[in-house]
Amino acid sequence: MKIPFSWLKEQVALTSTPAQIADDLVRLGHEVEGVELPRAGVSGVRVGQITSKAPHPDADKLSLLKVDIGEAAPLDIVCGASNMGEGDKIPVATIGTSLPNGLKIKKGKIRGETSCGMCCSETELGLADESAGLLILPADAPVGVEVGEFLQMEEAVFDLSITPNRGDCMNTRGIARDLAADANLPLMGVAPCTAEIDAAVSAPAVSVTAETDCPAYMARRIEGVKLADSPAWMQAGLIMAGMRPVNGIVDVLNYVMLYLGQPMHAFDADKLSGEINIRSAEDGEAFKALDGRELKLNAGDLVVADQGSVIALAGIMGSEDSGVSDGTVNIVLESAFFRPARVSETRRTYAMVSEASMRFERGVDPEMVATGMQQATKIITDLFGGVVGEITVCGNTSGINAGKQMHCSVSGIEKRLGITLPEEVDDVLRRMGFGILRHADKLEVVIPPFRHDVSIPEDMSEEYARVIGFDAIPEILPALATTAPAKPDRSIHDAVAGGFLQVVTYAFISEKEQRLFVPEDGCDIRLQNPISDAMSVMRRTAWAGLLNVAKHNLNRQQPGVSIAEQGRLYKNTEQGHDENNILAWLMSGEIEADQWHSSARSADFFDLKGAVEAWLAKRGLTGRFIADDSIQGLQAGQSAKILIGREEAGRIGKVDGDIAAAFDIDIPVFVADINLDVLHAGKKAKFSPLAEFPGVERDLVFLMEKAAFVRDAGADAIVQTVKKAGGKLLMDARVFDLYEGKGVAEGMVSVGVRFTLQDPARTLTQEDSDAASSAIIAAMDKRFGVSLRG
Amino acid sequence: MSEIDSLKAQLESLQSDALAAFSSAADLAGLQQLRVNYLGKKGALTEVLKGVGKLPPAERPVIGQFVNQTKQSLSTALDEAEAGLAVKAKIARIEAERVDVTLAGRSVSKGALHPVQQGLDEMTAIFSQMGFAVAEGPEIENEFHNFDALNIPPEHPARAMHDTFFVEEMSDEPMLLRTHTSPVQIRAMKQFLAESGEPPLAVVAPGRVYRCDYDVTHSPMFHQVEVFKVDRDVSMAHLKGVLKHFLSTYFEKDVSIRLRPHYFPFTEPSAEVDIGCVFCAGKGCRICKNSGWIEVLGSGMIHPNVLKSVGIDSEEFSGFAFGLGVERLVMLKRGIPDLRMFFENDVRFLRRMGS
Repeated sequence: MKIPFSWLKEQVALTSTPAQIADDLVRLGHEVEGVELPRAGVSGVRVGQITSKAPHPDADKLSLLKVDIGEAAPLDIVCGASNMGEGDKIPVATIGTSLPNGLKIKKGKIRGETSCGMCCSETELGLADESAGLLILPADAPVGVEVGEFLQMEEAVFDLSITPNRGDCMNTRGIARDLAADANLPLMGVAPCTAEIDAAVSAPAVSVTAETDCPAYMARRIEGVKLADSPAWMQAGLIMAGMRPVNGIVDVLNYVMLYLGQPMHAFDADKLSGEINIRSAEDGEAFKALDGRELKLNAGDLVVADQGSVIALAGIMGSEDSGVSDGTVNIVLESAFFRPARVSETRRTYAMVSEASMRFERGVDPEMVATGMQQATKIITDLFGGVVGEITVCGNTSGINAGKQMHCSVSGIEKRLGITLPEEVDDVLRRMGFGILRHADKLEVVIPPFRHDVSIPEDMSEEYARVIGFDAIPEILPALATTAPAKPDRSIHDAVAGGFLQVVTYAFISEKEQRLFVPEDGCDIRLQNPISDAMSVMRRTAWAGLLNVAKHNLNRQQPGVSIAEQGRLYKNTEQGHDENNILAWLMSGEIEADQWHSSARSADFFDLKGAVEAWLAKRGLTGRFIADDSIQGLQAGQSAKILIGREEAGRIGKVDGDIAAAFDIDIPVFVADINLDVLHAGKKAKFSPLAEFPGVERDLVFLMEKAAFVRDAGADAIVQTVKKAGGKLLMDARVFDLYEGKGVAEGMVSVGVRFTLQDPARTLTQEDSDAASSAIIAAMDKRFGVSLRG
Repeated sequence: MSEIDSLKAQLESLQSDALAAFSSAADLAGLQQLRVNYLGKKGALTEVLKGVGKLPPAERPVIGQFVNQTKQSLSTALDEAEAGLAVKAKIARIEAERVDVTLAGRSVSKGALHPVQQGLDEMTAIFSQMGFAVAEGPEIENEFHNFDALNIPPEHPARAMHDTFFVEEMSDEPMLLRTHTSPVQIRAMKQFLAESGEPPLAVVAPGRVYRCDYDVTHSPMFHQVEVFKVDRDVSMAHLKGVLKHFLSTYFEKDVSIRLRPHYFPFTEPSAEVDIGCVFCAGKGCRICKNSGWIEVLGSGMIHPNVLKSVGIDSEEFSGFAFGLGVERLVMLKRGIPDLRMFFENDVRFLRRMGS
């Protein structure tokens, strides 16, 4: 919300600079987004009048304008807007001007036509965040004058962000009230006024059916209005306050709203039929809003209706057909109090935000319903003439949010804030409208009706805090508790220690990516309102995210990536939403670069397997890797599930080539994941004495059929067999060599097994190792039908 | 020439031959051979000694002494020659093994924690040390925990400001992605009360949160840390004390803090917290928009309705709470200019920010 400094000064005789006032506002709880000095930015922009308009010969959307800026000859300007016509007055940025958006105006040719300046919109002048087309200035704007001068832009404009609890401050008067109370200056207020009533003008017939949602409604007819543009001063003020002038009546109502906080509406009296009724909408009732949208209303929406149709969605927006337009002569003015929660719900249902709804849903000052009506009547009749009828009043504003009282204790507030409350602070709050009686520790507080946000003692602690100032509260470190900190989760840290870069990817992915690794089984959790299709479903695999990161980096000349992510996977289950903590790895491309000592090496299955094994070992766990061709998205023959004990705790493998290709990756990619929720950390190793006697290492080399080795036997099975056959002296066994080629028949593989024997009590003899070897050879023969390589 | 003189001459000639041979020996093996040739059982010296028997007995001791002297000096010369050769051999080996120490070391692949993780770890550690217990909560939440229990009823305007992602639901209860870590307040308080009965409790809750907002300065997923403490006599002064300690520890310098009155439904009073600009020390710069202050988080005294929603007597207990955006604090501390870099995961960025 923007408030010109001059409006505030009309209400309070402020003597401080805009910067000081901005500081005061911040201290009082009103966020100042900026103090703008609009004039400074638009020096060189002058009022121009369009003397002729012709289409650009080479461009459909451009026009050739001749614009009079009060100099000997009109300027030729090529303009891309469409909302202007001959005779309109518009802001013209002359050559050499720098606009607030940084654009510097130069003489140039646009599609071959000379352009000696630029016609501006509010946005280009820095007056609004968005605008449609050029800013059309009032007809009486003097040609050639600096626009900043004409719009009285000498002054500062405060751009405020009003918190949703302070509906009372969404207007000049509310902000002025806080400033006046704080500075102990009088608040001017608005002079009461009553219009002269012409008995010939009837009071509108109004009934309120939905009394809870509309506790007060006022309406009045004004007849014989000569509708014209609002005066330049008002337009200038509205523009600086961030609103666009529309027509005389609407401008007056907006001005009253910005000044007093009461949103009002004007109907064209001649477009209404019969009694006005404020009621709940019927289910499916049609409403065509001012902004062109056609709605089907729900039962419960609060509407203003005549005998024919809905003429307004109460407190939000009028209908397209009932509003004031160029031919309007007789009007009905509406000023009302609508229940905030009702306006809020309807506004959310139709996503229809308006300046009025923003104020109604935060709660307006009930007292302003009548005041707004009187002020608007006066300004309208002063400007546009007309005769005024009696106000029809339904309901009563005096009971709205009135008479709220509470008791609190000084010490209670002091305890909450950690400061003392000097009595003189009560005066500041009294000036803000509170009734305060202090007896020793007791505070009796009467809450003004415009403060919808204050109802409990804690609310008063905030009021005291902001008038005293948060800076007055000391910084005290509370006594430290001595709870033992929980053992931190080191999952990702250990993966990083293994050489992986941690990444963080979004928890939502595309449905298409999900389907690469997870079958459609109805358990996906989808977002109702995703940012895009690419972020529409909660992930059930971390691999898609990792592949996207790999793609990003491999496309940027990285020869390889080793990345890991810790996060959650999400799915629907019978018991509700399941969030599963996982750790996932991806390895692809070069893991060792060309070096003076060795040549480059690319990642393979066993690099990643080694990393996962090391990670498990860190937690005292050993995984068994069981070949599994059925893991979706992984290549058969290079994929495995990882068992810890009997629990399936993870998966590992090579990403299917077609899937990698879908991520623009044409080199092997290896991924793994571990379900952290099923891991129970192994015990910390206990000390056992180190061996005193030397061990004996022996190698046995067997000749096996390769297919049988890879598919059926496998290193795990061989090691198991060796360990079992080796007896209790056998400490360790592993496959240390695989060889095919010269000396080994086609289709066969030579498998070297190395085992270590050790006895804690003695040195082993030749007989010991011979006996173990024989047992192992026999067991290998029995289990796999293989014998030693000759 | 007498017999004895002849023997002496032989010994002298043998000694000078031997010394010459020793000094020209090329290696230890050669020397060993010379030792055998001269001093061995069948060596040259022994040969000479054979002649001693022909001498008259009175002369024998004279020549015997002479022989022993020769033997001694040859033996010493051999030892010296051996030592010399060993030094030479060692020097030769050292030279042969000389390397270029400026060549690159064999690389060990280096991992790095994501900067957000580093921030989370640092922040959680600071609060852990202050006695705050770490808690987590679900990311897919219901409206009760994310809004209602936090004093944000359905019609509340603040609810609309949260840009909430809703999930498609099978059941009637609408579910959403939590828009802040504040629901963990509710869950942790409920759990704590069930276990311990009553406050004090102090909790730090880090986690991912979601807002339906995606542009240069907004990410639809980001991280927050929620911190709260409930006890008898907790005041706003304690809130300021904890904030000051936390922010000064995190930024590794004495930062000044400023609280501005604000509005959050779940706290009363509420305050936005600014720190003195860490870039210009309050002088005014581009980052702080010349104000000297940077907004870092929202805070306040827990609203009595929030305590009530979990069954804590707000007459007896009070508490403070604040929630901070992890990415924002990490950006300020590390000078990261663009929020999007966190989620782009460019490995060059991750490596650079790794330490």
